[in-house]
Amino acid sequence: MDPKIEKLRNAYDSIPIPDELEALVNQTLSQAMGASGRHGIGPRKHRAAKGFLVAAASLAAAFVLFVAGINLSPTFAEKAGRLPMVGQLVKVFLLREYTHQEDSYDASLQSPGIEGLENQDLEDFLNAKYLSENKALYETFMADMAALKEAGGGHLGVDSGYLVLTDTAEILSIGRYVVNTVGSSSTVFRYDTIDKVNEILITLPSLFKDDRYIDLISEEIKGQMVAQHQADPNRFFWVEGIEQSVDMPLFGRIARDQSFYISAEGELVISFDKYEVAPGYMGVLTFTIPTEVLKDVLVSRVYLK
Amino acid sequence: MNSRRIADYVTENRESHYRLAYSYVKNPDDALDVIQESVCKAIHGAHTLKSPEFIKTWFYRIVINTALDLLRKQKKLVLADDEAFETLHAVVDDPMEDYDLHQALERLPGHYRTVVVLRYFEDLPLNDIAEVTGLPLSTVKTRLYKSLKMLRLELESELDSDKKGGNTYGS
Repeated sequence: MDPKIEKLRNAYDSIPIPDELEALVNQTLSQAMGASGRHGIGPRKHRAAKGFLVAAASLAAAFVLFVAGINLSPTFAEKAGRLPMVGQLVKVFLLREYTHQEDSYDASLQSPGIEGLENQDLEDFLNAKYLSENKALYETFMADMAALKEAGGGHLGVDSGYLVLTDTAEILSIGRYVVNTVGSSSTVFRYDTIDKVNEILITLPSLFKDDRYIDLISEEIKGQMVAQHQADPNRFFWVEGIEQSVDMPLFGRIARDQSFYISAEGELVISFDKYEVAPGYMGVLTFTIPTEVLKDVLVSRVYLK
Repeated sequence: MNSRRIADYVTENRESHYRLAYSYVKNPDDALDVIQESVCKAIHGAHTLKSPEFIKTWFYRIVINTALDLLRKQKKLVLADDEAFETLHAVVDDPMEDYDLHQALERLPGHYRTVVVLRYFEDLPLNDIAEVTGLPLSTVKTRLYKSLKMLRLELESELDSDKKGGNTYGS
């Protein structure tokens, strides 16, 4: 070998290895493979702690569950050399139902359960999450009902449930929703997207190389909002570009872990809860983001086509 | 592709991956960030690995792309077009000391440096470099040749000895 190359190589080989490398790799692996709320591509160290808090807070706030599935094409499955039957054993079933019906008080809560994952930790995590969310809803409902009765009575309703959006050999998509009725109703949607073959929970950040997706998606949604309003003035959003009569905070950008699922066509669908970006009559809003808009920031085209 | 297998691979070869990342970003903090992000991407994108024998080239590609992304974000790296490449070529044609040799390596456009690092520092065969970079074998050879020329190094016989792999030309 050329002595000059040799010199360069020696310099390369003597790049010192930091002590923390081993721990970092192990920790990253356990986070990426585990089923905790920290599975995204989170920044390291101090920044990681912050990301975890945000993830934990958003989990705690999740009343409603919606599991979204990802549809992988047979072509891809073939290319990847995997057995298309592997994921077929994974199933969603009605794990538990809480109901309470009494005069003007009505609760109907359904918890989905997932079975058939080899990754028992992930399965347990999801099932425990769904159960505890519904249990919490039930307890809140009972407490609210007692308070209302004491105050002279009223109407109270809570309804939660789930939908299997996509269930292919590779992807399971479950959508979970909660409708709270106290006078007017509020609706919250949450989604879980599972890669059945690799048995991992897919998060929004994990689909992208870096945080540029936040602005790309936000701008696309703003454009769609304005376009929808122009086509039909009844479609109204709190967004710049539409004349506002009330001083509401305008939609700026999506959250890093904004609710999402992936449609059967392999397109990213971003979801906003009722009142999040528009008046209540607009209900829960979803925006389909063309994959073309995201092509430069996608980690791969496996999930999004 | 089993993510357990990927986990074993990235654990075993972490030091080599770290050096590769470091050779791009030039500081321990960023290199660790690149490794962390690469490991995440590998686990989450495990399905993009077609078969176990490609794991090395597959993961190298993730590390390199992640490192280049980081540099792009930090704007340390300006992707060179052909014109910039020619200018650079002229500059490094001047005689240089060892220090300049390092500088020249640093100044190589990212895609050229990748080829040099993979071939001479990581000992990857040219076919594997083609796999990592997603380039035709002929392009890899051209880049290695031009890189060496830029480094004012004698081209060694290895390009010739690797010629039998040339049937993948243009694939």
